[in-house]
Amino acid sequence: MTPIVSVNSLSVAYRSGGRDVPVVHEVSLEVTKGRTLALVGESGSGKSTVAATLLGHLRYGSRITGGSVHIKGSDVFALSARELRRLRGGTVAMVTQNAGHALTPSMRIGRQIAEAGGDIPVTDLLEQVRLPRPAELARRYPHELSGGQQQRVAIAMAIAARPEVLVLDEPTTGLDVVTQRGVLDLISGLRDELGLAAVLVSHDLGVVAHLADEVTVLRSGRIVESAPTRTLFATPHDPYTRKLLASVPRLDDAGLALVGEAGEREVRPRAQVPANAPVAVSARDVTIDYGSSRAVHGVSFDVRRGEVLALVGESGSGKSTLAWTLAGLRTPSGGTLTHESGDLARPAERRPLSLRRRVQLVFQNADTSLNPRRSVGDAVRRPLRLFGTAQSPAEAEGRARKLISDVRLDPALADRLPAQLSGGQRQRIGIARALAGEPDVLIADEITTALDVSVQAEVLRLLDDLRRERHLACLFISHDLAVVRGIADRVAVLRHGVVVEEGPTEAVFASPGHPYTRQLMAAALEPDPDAQPPGDEATGWADAAEPDDLWTNHGDGHRVRRWRPALLEGNP
Amino acid sequence: MTTLDTAPVAVPAPAPARAVRAWRTLRSSRAAVIGLSVVAVHVLIALLAPLLTSYDPIANSAGEALLGPSAQHWAGTDQYGRDVLARVLYGGRYALGVSLTATLLTVALGTVIGCAAALRGGRFDNVLGRVLDAVLSVPAILSLLVVVTALGTGPSVIVLAIAVVYVPQVVRVVRGAALAVVPQDYVTAARARGEGTWAILRREILPNITDVVCVEFAMRASWVVLLISSLSFLGFGADPPTPDWGLMVAENRTAITVVPMASLAPIIALATLVVGLNLAADGLSKAWGVDRIREGS
Amino acid sequence: MLSFVTRRIAAALGTLLLASVLVFLAVQALPGDVATQVLGKDATPDAVAALRGQLGLDRPAWERYADWVGGALHGDFGTSLVSGKAVGGEVAAYLGNSALIALVTVLFAVTGSIVLGVLAGLYRDRWPDHLISTASLVGMSVPEFVVATVLVLCFSVALPWFPAVVLYGPEASVGQLLPAVWLPALSLAVVMAAYIVRMARTSVIDVMASEYVTTARLKGLSTWRVVTRHALPSALLPTLHVIALNVAWLVGGVAVVENVFNYPGVGKLLLSSVQNRDLPVIQAVALVSAVVYVTCNLAADLGAMALNPKLRTRGRTR
Repeated sequence: MTPIVSVNSLSVAYRSGGRDVPVVHEVSLEVTKGRTLALVGESGSGKSTVAATLLGHLRYGSRITGGSVHIKGSDVFALSARELRRLRGGTVAMVTQNAGHALTPSMRIGRQIAEAGGDIPVTDLLEQVRLPRPAELARRYPHELSGGQQQRVAIAMAIAARPEVLVLDEPTTGLDVVTQRGVLDLISGLRDELGLAAVLVSHDLGVVAHLADEVTVLRSGRIVESAPTRTLFATPHDPYTRKLLASVPRLDDAGLALVGEAGEREVRPRAQVPANAPVAVSARDVTIDYGSSRAVHGVSFDVRRGEVLALVGESGSGKSTLAWTLAGLRTPSGGTLTHESGDLARPAERRPLSLRRRVQLVFQNADTSLNPRRSVGDAVRRPLRLFGTAQSPAEAEGRARKLISDVRLDPALADRLPAQLSGGQRQRIGIARALAGEPDVLIADEITTALDVSVQAEVLRLLDDLRRERHLACLFISHDLAVVRGIADRVAVLRHGVVVEEGPTEAVFASPGHPYTRQLMAAALEPDPDAQPPGDEATGWADAAEPDDLWTNHGDGHRVRRWRPALLEGNP
Repeated sequence: MTTLDTAPVAVPAPAPARAVRAWRTLRSSRAAVIGLSVVAVHVLIALLAPLLTSYDPIANSAGEALLGPSAQHWAGTDQYGRDVLARVLYGGRYALGVSLTATLLTVALGTVIGCAAALRGGRFDNVLGRVLDAVLSVPAILSLLVVVTALGTGPSVIVLAIAVVYVPQVVRVVRGAALAVVPQDYVTAARARGEGTWAILRREILPNITDVVCVEFAMRASWVVLLISSLSFLGFGADPPTPDWGLMVAENRTAITVVPMASLAPIIALATLVVGLNLAADGLSKAWGVDRIREGS
Repeated sequence: MLSFVTRRIAAALGTLLLASVLVFLAVQALPGDVATQVLGKDATPDAVAALRGQLGLDRPAWERYADWVGGALHGDFGTSLVSGKAVGGEVAAYLGNSALIALVTVLFAVTGSIVLGVLAGLYRDRWPDHLISTASLVGMSVPEFVVATVLVLCFSVALPWFPAVVLYGPEASVGQLLPAVWLPALSLAVVMAAYIVRMARTSVIDVMASEYVTTARLKGLSTWRVVTRHALPSALLPTLHVIALNVAWLVGGVAVVENVFNYPGVGKLLLSSVQNRDLPVIQAVALVSAVVYVTCNLAADLGAMALNPKLRTRGRTR
């Protein structure tokens, strides 16, 4: 069978400061009808650039420096403007990462789909991507839709002209797990139904294992390894591929996975928290409001010294709001929030210095949490001086270097600006800054979300080391159950500002008691092509908690908020 | 990764000083270099005017009135027989002196107020916004005329008047830039540390808006030069016989068909200075990635 | 949405009220009060006091302010100290003439600059962009009196197509003024257009680099359709505000250009009343300009809202 897509030793360069910077180097690949090829790689691997060339598109300032791209036998970059339009409108279509940005804000959904060509009525297309009330939806503007709905509209737009090749560039990144699962199922269904060839770009090996027939691993614009999916996941050959695969946290890890340079994987048993460890932070019935809407409804938890408590939930669950409130950036509207040495219900500027320094926050995005105009050493020195941990500038200098080496970085990096560091290095500096006040409570707000998977593994290991060395009480906020599995001692699952289940990590993962927890676990994708989702698919349920009877206890602190079966609520 | 446990120590290049970095980016923009050079040449000419010409810019000489360009008078003479070239060379003194002082004052005041508004927010910001809007709603030239009528046309009065009419616009720009910085996580981190308002302003916000302020300075300077020359043209700025470009155009406009050079020379001087300032503003904003949209008009 | 509109209108009224206070206070601060102005420096103190009483100047400032604003609401701005005529009628006559120039200017500047700005943005970093950007830089750098002078030189002196100065007073008819409108309007349009061109260019470049325009291109749409349907609606929104802000500048620019052409408009009235210290007229002109500015900005805001579905549909449920 002749391939419908064929890329031959393609090289692309980006022009910057008068020089050509190579982005893609001699990449070759082929896709035949009905097959799905995944391009896998971390940031800067050039995977999206390769994908866009299938539509004859290059970023402003980029150009082809060698090789060719053929679709159905014709060279894409040799097409006339008219033929290129026909290719894009008919043969190849693309779904990009963030549909919220990819849809024109000033045009109604229906018209945007209609102009993509083809003669299938818009309402049929919207029905095909399983959106409710298509006729009404077609008259909406993009901003009136949720993220998942926007992505479905983008898919409808892509299949409108019945293309033969579908290019999917990180089609579910940025969506919540449950939504992601729905969109992925839709994509694979449509692909089989329409017999499409697909090229999937993704950094997420779970998504790749779920969708792809073949995988090509890219690193810095070069192909590292290319193999059928099952072969690649079972017997990866290249050390980089092995490391990549080993770095992915899994739902069945009994502890934190430590990954070696060559991709060897060792699961470290969870740290034992002494039974008499003092409680560092305690929350009782905390409620937090944003104006008139309530983000957190009566949440209670304790975190002991040396213990990691994970707060897990989708966007809008109130988990980050809780983290910020603990850090003193918001004030709770009800309940109590206490530290062993004082009241945490007050905002940071009204907490005494001794309390302020003991509760520290690490931000999700290290790119924006460091002042771009100040050296990273300065970022660490400032809290040292402010909290009085270092008395003189010279002492601060020395301690800052010590802290930077404590987070496993070269102290000589202290003179650099944040922009001169990699994402992982910046996040380590963020942790070093938080440690400068010698805290006993560390709040980690999605600290690995923006990182590549191999870097994530390193940062998680660092965090685990630090809490062992420094007996930190750690509140770990995450949307990713697999990440939580390795590092947390206890888990609390949040939904719409309410804890629906909490307990020791092992117990919760072994027998999730709440349907929402089960739904989250079912939606999580394992980096294994043969994995069967644990538990059954979402059953309908309704909250059945009474004010004086909130919980069903499962022993050992594992408790589940009361619920009862109900008809499936509007879950598209 | 240059982490200690995974890779041997790589010796990093020390970060160059901030001034050096700023200069490097600046040099990367041809427009900025050309613009700043033009302005520098104007400043030099204004300072060295006595060395460049032997004519007195305000000495009348009725016998030599309205001459065309010649070997003695390169740009001819005006209706009072004054050497046009000498007047143009000296003319930069008034324009540059008054506008640079005025711009400096305006931008400094605007930066402080703008930052404070962005950081404090709330009612202070609201009230300030209202007042600034009200000031902006009266045309600049009208406010200037009123101030000048009230207090005379001395240079210090004009500097003050320009500060009054342009500070609101600078505040708007700086406030917008600072507002983009305030929600950044590093400012939040400073707040979580419990830093004071002044420390946050100085350490976290100001370093991140210096580029905006510099561009604003260059652009505002070009506006001020234009405004002052308009004022002089209307007879409310420099008093005759002070050599000033706007005034010269007004004086020689009626004789433009007889001695075109007498009008054209100050026009060229004025236009090159403003083009220089605009090029500098443009080049700086491009080199530093300052968003011109935020600055509106 | 409705609450947004009412809030915006309330804010505009608030700004206007504040502006009127500022104008009143500023004019009060001018040295020499009206009575001495009218009677001259040699007047006896008794006569001055009598006139002050007659004009109500001995009353507290807030009372006079209330009177002035109350009168202004009915179109009564007092009497001119120079001509002795009602200020309202006088300003209205001059204002009408200026409106003629402003109308032509805005028409020229807005249509021309949007076309050029969009062209420059679409042909980014190629010769049409370089040409247009350079021209707009020059346009920005030349004061309006220079443009006016050059235009006179070309189209009145060298080619006698248009009059260099106007010989009519404020009561001239539109027909009499029409030939004299073009050169002033063109001078103002050149400078005004320079700013809008740059704004439109930047905003077109930004939008053309956006993901949704890329998506539209990758749908295989024609460039024309991508530009007109997907890019321009979003690209031109910010330009609307720049146009509104420029109208405020126009009022000042008019003062200079009208002076060059001796055109009987509000700018010329303003200059002569400043020279003569005709306070009621200055106050009236300032207030009228503030009204124009606030109205234009309000219109731009409401217009942006009408064109932007995100604002228009606010409050509608998902």
